[in-house]
Amino acid sequence: MNILMRITRMAYYYRKRLILAYLSFFAAIGFSLLVPWLFGKSIDQLVVIEGVLEEGGRLIPNPDLTWQILFVMASLLLGASLCRGFFDFARTYTTDSLSQLVSYDFRNQIYDKLQNVSFAYHDKEHTGNLMSKATADVEAIRRFVNMGLVRSLEVVVRTIAVTSILIWINWELALISLIFVPFLVLRSTLVIGKLRRMWLHVQEVNGELVTVLQENLVGIHVVKAFGSENFERRKYDKKAQELREEYYQSERLQGTNSAWMSLYFTFALCLIVWYGGWEIIRGDLTPGQLAQFVLYLNQLTFPIRASAQIINSFSRAISSGRRIFDVLDSSSPVEEKPDARVMGRAEGHVQFRSASFAYDARSATLQSVNIDAEPGKVTAILGAPGSGKSTIVNLIPRFYDVTDGEVTIDGDDIREFTLESLRRNVGIVQQDIFLFDATIRDNIAYGVSNASEEDIVNAAKVAQLHDQIMSFAHGYDTWVGERGSTLSGGQRQRLSIARTVLVNPPILILDDSTSSVDVETERQIHQAMVNVMKGRTTFVIAHRLSTVREADQILVLKDGHIVEEGNHVELMARRGIYRDIYELQLRPQEEVLLDASLVGGDGGDN
Amino acid sequence: MRGMGGGFGGMMGGMRGLNSGGINSPTMDNLSDDNALGAVYNNKVVLRLISYMGPYKSDVIKSLIAVLIYTLANASIPMLILLGVNNGISSGDFWSMHPLHLVGAAFLGVTLVHFASNYLQFVFMARVGQSILYSLRTQMFSHLQDMSPSFYHRTATGRIMSRSQSDVLQLQETFEMLVLALADVLTLAFIIIYMLLVDWELALVSLSIVPVLFFILAYWQRFARRSFMRIRRAIAMVNGEYNQNITGVRVVQSLNRQDENLRHFEELNHEHLDANLQASRFSGGLQPMVEFLIGVGMGFGVVFVGGLLAKNGNLEWGVLLAFAVWIQRFFEPIRHLTMQYGVFQRSMAAGVRIFELMDLRPEVVDKPDAIEMPPVRGEIRFEDVNFHYVEGVEVLQDVNLHIRPGENVALVGSTGAGKSTLVTLIHRFADVTKGKITIDGYDLRDVQRESLVSQMSMVLQEPYLFSGNVRDNIRYCYDDATDEDVIEAAKAVGAHDFIMALEDGYDTVLAERGVNLSVGQRQLISFARAIVGDPRIIVLDEATANIDTHTEILIQEALSHVLEGRTSIVIAHRLSTIRSADKIVVLDRGRIAEVGRHEDLLRQGGVYARLYAINYGLNLDNGVEPGGGQLIPAPADND
Repeated sequence: MNILMRITRMAYYYRKRLILAYLSFFAAIGFSLLVPWLFGKSIDQLVVIEGVLEEGGRLIPNPDLTWQILFVMASLLLGASLCRGFFDFARTYTTDSLSQLVSYDFRNQIYDKLQNVSFAYHDKEHTGNLMSKATADVEAIRRFVNMGLVRSLEVVVRTIAVTSILIWINWELALISLIFVPFLVLRSTLVIGKLRRMWLHVQEVNGELVTVLQENLVGIHVVKAFGSENFERRKYDKKAQELREEYYQSERLQGTNSAWMSLYFTFALCLIVWYGGWEIIRGDLTPGQLAQFVLYLNQLTFPIRASAQIINSFSRAISSGRRIFDVLDSSSPVEEKPDARVMGRAEGHVQFRSASFAYDARSATLQSVNIDAEPGKVTAILGAPGSGKSTIVNLIPRFYDVTDGEVTIDGDDIREFTLESLRRNVGIVQQDIFLFDATIRDNIAYGVSNASEEDIVNAAKVAQLHDQIMSFAHGYDTWVGERGSTLSGGQRQRLSIARTVLVNPPILILDDSTSSVDVETERQIHQAMVNVMKGRTTFVIAHRLSTVREADQILVLKDGHIVEEGNHVELMARRGIYRDIYELQLRPQEEVLLDASLVGGDGGDN
Repeated sequence: MRGMGGGFGGMMGGMRGLNSGGINSPTMDNLSDDNALGAVYNNKVVLRLISYMGPYKSDVIKSLIAVLIYTLANASIPMLILLGVNNGISSGDFWSMHPLHLVGAAFLGVTLVHFASNYLQFVFMARVGQSILYSLRTQMFSHLQDMSPSFYHRTATGRIMSRSQSDVLQLQETFEMLVLALADVLTLAFIIIYMLLVDWELALVSLSIVPVLFFILAYWQRFARRSFMRIRRAIAMVNGEYNQNITGVRVVQSLNRQDENLRHFEELNHEHLDANLQASRFSGGLQPMVEFLIGVGMGFGVVFVGGLLAKNGNLEWGVLLAFAVWIQRFFEPIRHLTMQYGVFQRSMAAGVRIFELMDLRPEVVDKPDAIEMPPVRGEIRFEDVNFHYVEGVEVLQDVNLHIRPGENVALVGSTGAGKSTLVTLIHRFADVTKGKITIDGYDLRDVQRESLVSQMSMVLQEPYLFSGNVRDNIRYCYDDATDEDVIEAAKAVGAHDFIMALEDGYDTVLAERGVNLSVGQRQLISFARAIVGDPRIIVLDEATANIDTHTEILIQEALSHVLEGRTSIVIAHRLSTIRSADKIVVLDRGRIAEVGRHEDLLRQGGVYARLYAINYGLNLDNGVEPGGGQLIPAPADND
């Protein structure tokens, strides 16, 4: 309920429209109620009963009727219809626009929240899930504003109004024809509940089917390599059959419900003609009133049919609203202090002082780490996957906050500064290079909106990318990302370097892992990295021998601890983990020395 | 009546927008723009859909009969009111055989028929609809299995997904729509017939204004179409921006782009809002018009003209009441049809997209007279093989290669030399453009692909696992492999120990694509999968991704087991693999440059020697320090 209140409060912001919507549907209902009334009155103008039919009376045309009266009645009918149409339009438009405005606000809020919430949040949430919150759940809210907030009231008002009129005209006939309405509403409410459960199940099965499809498409090379097309077909077919059955069951239930609904209305009409006819014969009802009953009953069709949908829109809004507010209310563990200072351009002296970090309370990822990276120096970080390498570098721009200890830049705790100013001082070249759906130029200038062409070209040159960009047909205007041509892994990485160069941060974080690039690319990337590290405090998650060897200090991580530190020569002398890693991973890159000596005929010793 | 604005920008359009970026996206594949909107009615699509009804003919016929009875019963109800009023309400004793009872009983009968046909119509329709969707789905999937890898290379997975998922769902709506539309049209026809039969003069007067409505509708739909397209475009942009911002959030935050992104998003979002408001005005605008027509029909048609006729005793009042009800019901189907406008349009577009995909011809097809491949020994021959994806750009040229059964071949060459293409041709991912490839003397194109490929296997550089448990992943498509076979395969590649160390051993369920395992562990599982079927030929793209030291050793050991006793071709990156190969094949720009063993090739001082040297950061011209057992090497010359 609280959730519906919150949604309502968002809609209340547009209360003028809301009130306008209410007013116009009141008016629309009023005029629509006039139509059967006028029609019935016209019939009563047309025919009169002489005596009582039961006792031999008869129906005759009204002798006093003039064409003027008919003309007035016809004009009134037309007028009422026109007014009804006009207010219907006003109601539709105000309601639609209200619901659209509310969903517009929700979209903006979710978008802004998602781009500001800390990485810890995004680590947990799947993109698909967040996308469905932004699309399906917002749509559910929109429907609720439309159906639940406006239509529900309309349904109640219309039902009450029509029922009262019918009772007022003839309570006996009203009772007979409306007696099933409560059962009908109850029944369809129950069915809706059942349908919802069925529908959830359908979606589950559908999700499984999509998974089979998606895995098949993404892993199509495996499928082709194993010639397992028929195996996959059977797998898919099984799920598709299941889905067909689930869909069929839910559609059948829906159909059954709808058939019962219209059975009721037809049956009620039957009763009106039968019993109403008898009442006319008895003289308790006029022909016009019978006509009114028939036409009014028609007006109940909509509210009763809609009531199920409305109930549904409420329950969907509650679940969707909860999902959306989960996003909007999620507190980011990385919060700016209210009195945060703006960090100017830093010298770049980064220190970790007994810094610890844990993703969850149970297991610490980093334990009491001490690092001292002096301005302009290069720190290489080595370790097995999961040893905490990425965690260390993610703490510097406060993508996560330390759970204990502190990280300082030029002596000040980084939590003292505004996030924006801190991050302006820390550049990152990430392992997963993300390109936006835009031109190369826009991608390079992503962090600096007013970058000049010259700056962009310079950054590309530093990143060793300029020449390749110029070799593309559209140069810097080449479209990359989802829709555009895809750059190679090496080009992407250098583009990311260019992006960082342009921001010109005093502190730099590099993840130098590249999977299989050719020799030339390898050389270019290395050169780009050497260029960009110049004059910056750099942290490198290193995989290349050359990078590691050139580092001013090497940190070897194991299970969240720094187990060895020093430069290459020192660590090699120590014969510890570093040397093991060197032997197993880095050294094969060097074996060539031995073989080359073989080639050179200098008599190697292997 | 449900506001139309709501239906417009609904879920389906939205989700599809996810994968389709902008409006004029340049596409590499053969598929048209996903955002293109079709006509409201596309004869080809409808006929093709109808052809899917073939296998369910009897259900279709039953469903049509039910629809016919239902619409007739529906249009008959005002007739019964008419009869009740005209003949039933007369003098006489109600408790004797009063004519009203006759009409009432008839009414009750029609009510029951109405109910039964209505129910059956739903049931049959759902059954037919779901069966057709099932056929479409499975045919689409089956078709996708036939498409060659080059198709998948050209086409983004998201686009295929959206066609086989959201577009098929959209067609589901189409079927219901088609039946309902048929019912609407029939209802209109029956109502007109009834009205004409009962009183043709009054009918003509009351309906005289209907042609005006069609005129207005024809005009309206031109605007509506534009309005729909605008919404679709807008929602695609909004969702695209959303998706991009979520996936790129780490970059966004590290480069402080939030404010600017929000501004940009608000613009897109506002366009979406405007587009919807415009659509709402369009759809809402029809309401006053329909009401006006109802008012004219009821006011001046029925009440005024009908009233004058009745006054002169030419018409009974029951006719007027029946006409009033008919007129109300007359506009219902029309309103309904116009409301479903957007659905129609989306459906036709979805149909076009689906059939477009299904009509793409697979590039590798078994010959009709292809034979089943007998048990493979493992001799592979390339004879004057050429291959290209794009005419004129040869990827492989004049490749001649003979691999003996059981031989281990290492394939080396720089990026783009054609290594991957060469190995995938053995699996017939594509057909050679010149020359031929034979296995045990059989041209690949003369045997059934599945019978051949099931005797070979391939391990890709990036291990790919399916959801399910470890056991199912190892067994994969070899249904007849026993649990023991699976364990044996895992043991052979050295994966058994780490699998047993997992929480549920072989029953451990893998997270999405196995992300709960390390890359190395995934690689080991894919090794096990590759040998569980005991293939005679194995193709392997050696992983270069970072693997922790421990697994690295495991993998090196596993490799020798995997290759043992089989013909193998390895795209090799590791020195140890290359050196231990029986034969090294050096590819250079699509041609085989050298073939031989490691030492021989190094001595030759050709492409291999050069490649070998630069690949390990060594400049031969500078000479090399004889490094012996030296552990602290000189600084490398990387530039």
